[in-house]
Amino acid sequence: MNDESKVIHTYTKDILHPIIKRVKTYLEEEMNIDVFNTSDITCPKNIHLKKNTVMIGTSGSIKLIITLGFDEVLLNKLVEVFMEGEDIGDCDIEEVTNSIACEVTNTIIGNAIDNPVDSSDIYITPPVLIYEAKTLNKYKDSKFAFVTFITKYGEIELTAVGPKEQFENELEFKDQ
Amino acid sequence: MLNVLVVDDSLAIRIKMKGFLKKLGHDIVREAKEGKEAIQLYKEYAPDLITMDISMPGMNGVDALKEIMEISNREANVIMITANGQDGIVKDALKLGAKGYILKPISKEKLQDSIGQIFPEYFCSDNVLLDDNDLDDIFV
Repeated sequence: MNDESKVIHTYTKDILHPIIKRVKTYLEEEMNIDVFNTSDITCPKNIHLKKNTVMIGTSGSIKLIITLGFDEVLLNKLVEVFMEGEDIGDCDIEEVTNSIACEVTNTIIGNAIDNPVDSSDIYITPPVLIYEAKTLNKYKDSKFAFVTFITKYGEIELTAVGPKEQFENELEFKDQ
Repeated sequence: MLNVLVVDDSLAIRIKMKGFLKKLGHDIVREAKEGKEAIQLYKEYAPDLITMDISMPGMNGVDALKEIMEISNREANVIMITANGQDGIVKDALKLGAKGYILKPISKEKLQDSIGQIFPEYFCSDNVLLDDNDLDDIFV
């Protein structure tokens, strides 16, 4: 990824910091998975979204799209821990896995989201799973912020994309 | 034993919720994936308790709660489930008549506490009640 300047809009940083903290506490305290390393926040010109990436939009006075992308081995570990002791009956395991990716993302972002600008409530959309890996390139005044978390089971990538109005569903740029 | 309607678009949460409720000795009458389905099932089964996710595609949990409260003259027992604990969202649901809320991640203990606040007979039902003689034994 090509990093441009390290200057990141203050409110994006203020939104990301609690999410970064919650990713770590969620993995370590709820899932018993240690996070060995967390990267600095960077502002790449393009981002590659993994297969198994979940996106959530925010509305209110802060409009962003936030994604968490999971390596497959890590996601399988999350499924194992999440479903420990539960009977999944005849449910499709792929459907259960996708649902857990969405649920983990929803819990982390929902728990952490806060409004550093005016203290009004920020609402979050239901999570949507992106099934295919894809690359997003910067377009007009869009901005990306990116953080990686490393665990023994693989990585989680956190991305914030804005402004939200420039994107259709599944992160396709709208025609301007 | 309570008859419970579980409303959540997340398959993972429905599985977890059913598991917790069964362990707590309750019965799951039905499950719904969104608000309109929840309202229909409430009319049909009149469950003792509803666990209702707030953020769902289609009709969300707050809109479904509003309608269920109208139908039931505010007598339905609804616990809201949310990952987003911001005051305004939760306050809106409580004002509409929700009896409580659980902030995700859900756990058996959080669910038990919330149920116990609505139905005191189920409060801490896993704990063995001690009488004075038991306490004497402990402190000997």
